[in-house]
Amino acid sequence: MTDSRLTAASQGLSSCHLCLKLFNHELHQCPRCNSAAHSRKPDSMQRTLAFLVTAAILYIPANTLPIMVTEQFGQPIESTILGGIVLLIEMGSLPVAVVIFIASIMIPLGKLIAMFYLCWSVQQGSIHSTVKRTKLYRMVEFIGKWSMIDVFVVALLVALIHLNGLLVIRPGLATIAFCAVVITSILAAESFDPRLIWDQMEEENNE
Amino acid sequence: MYRPPPKSIYQRSNYLACPSCDLIFDISSLKTGDTARCTGCNHFLTTHRKGELEHVAAFVSSAIIFLMIACSFPFMAFQANGLESTMTLPETAFILWDYKMYLLAFLIAAFIIVLPAVILISIMSVTIALLLKRKHPWLNTVARSIFTIKNWCMVEVFFIAVLVSLVKITRMATIEMGLSFWAYAIFSVLFVLTISRLDRFQYWRRIEMLNPHD
Repeated sequence: MTDSRLTAASQGLSSCHLCLKLFNHELHQCPRCNSAAHSRKPDSMQRTLAFLVTAAILYIPANTLPIMVTEQFGQPIESTILGGIVLLIEMGSLPVAVVIFIASIMIPLGKLIAMFYLCWSVQQGSIHSTVKRTKLYRMVEFIGKWSMIDVFVVALLVALIHLNGLLVIRPGLATIAFCAVVITSILAAESFDPRLIWDQMEEENNE
Repeated sequence: MYRPPPKSIYQRSNYLACPSCDLIFDISSLKTGDTARCTGCNHFLTTHRKGELEHVAAFVSSAIIFLMIACSFPFMAFQANGLESTMTLPETAFILWDYKMYLLAFLIAAFIIVLPAVILISIMSVTIALLLKRKHPWLNTVARSIFTIKNWCMVEVFFIAVLVSLVKITRMATIEMGLSFWAYAIFSVLFVLTISRLDRFQYWRRIEMLNPHD
């Protein structure tokens, strides 16, 4: 990599995160949409890591506490996310079990690992596989909200199934923990600035 | 050593920097129907569409109507052993309020009904203002809110959740889909279409042309 890239930062410009306008980096406000202006997202690393650690901690109660309580003939049965998936496989609904497994276990966990890796690689000053890492970030950003499926399913079942005395479904505490995992990891992805992945290359070039 | 930034041409409205890797592009040569992607990281930049605003206006107004229908009729009914329970769409959130899960009730209502409604109304007001080429003092604020809350609307996620729960319980009992169910299905398609037609760069360029600042 010897050719220097024509970037906004190298021209002394900021690109508005909201409306994509290019303007002088000394301005504190975007001249077009009045959003707060930054050449790079402020304190990107610290904020991202703080949200990531929070999400990782909340992931524990989200998986160990019951996500819903099924009360059949007055007898409450608590089930966790993983327990619900096992139950679905036993019932023979493999496709649904796969959807729930991907949305509730794989996506949140994969997101956390991917974001920790991205932060680590930026901190290390890596200049390798910049395109791949940018794509990884965009993927994490895109799939973020899909982990909400399980919380929505519980809310729907609770709203729909309330046959008093026969069958009632109540929400468990894990719903809140899980919702918090999804929100904090979306915030983590929003605080991360993918341009930091590329900034290392400019620094290498300048040396 | 400080070098003053050039009074550069890049601040004109046909330039933009890739939000992923900061490369600057000139998109003035973009023809109708073309999509611009970043040459460095292949990130989507902008699409030049014919009649973009008209499309958005059509999708957004029908989406609002279908959301109103979806909120006012029974969503699903559940029958087992001669007993029946029905639910409406807002009840998905309200029922959690009854279980004292106030925060969760609030969040779910926000993600599937309130924020989508707010974003649709904002898109409609801005699009109509742009179509009529009218300047309004609120235009910037409302347009900004569109792109701020865009990531927090989970209409399509909720619809997949509805399908998952259907599969989960059809073995247990008889499920009847109400009018709202079908209205919400159409609403989610229209909502996704509206959001996908909303091109950040083109939209703000039009707003800028309406509001020339010095």
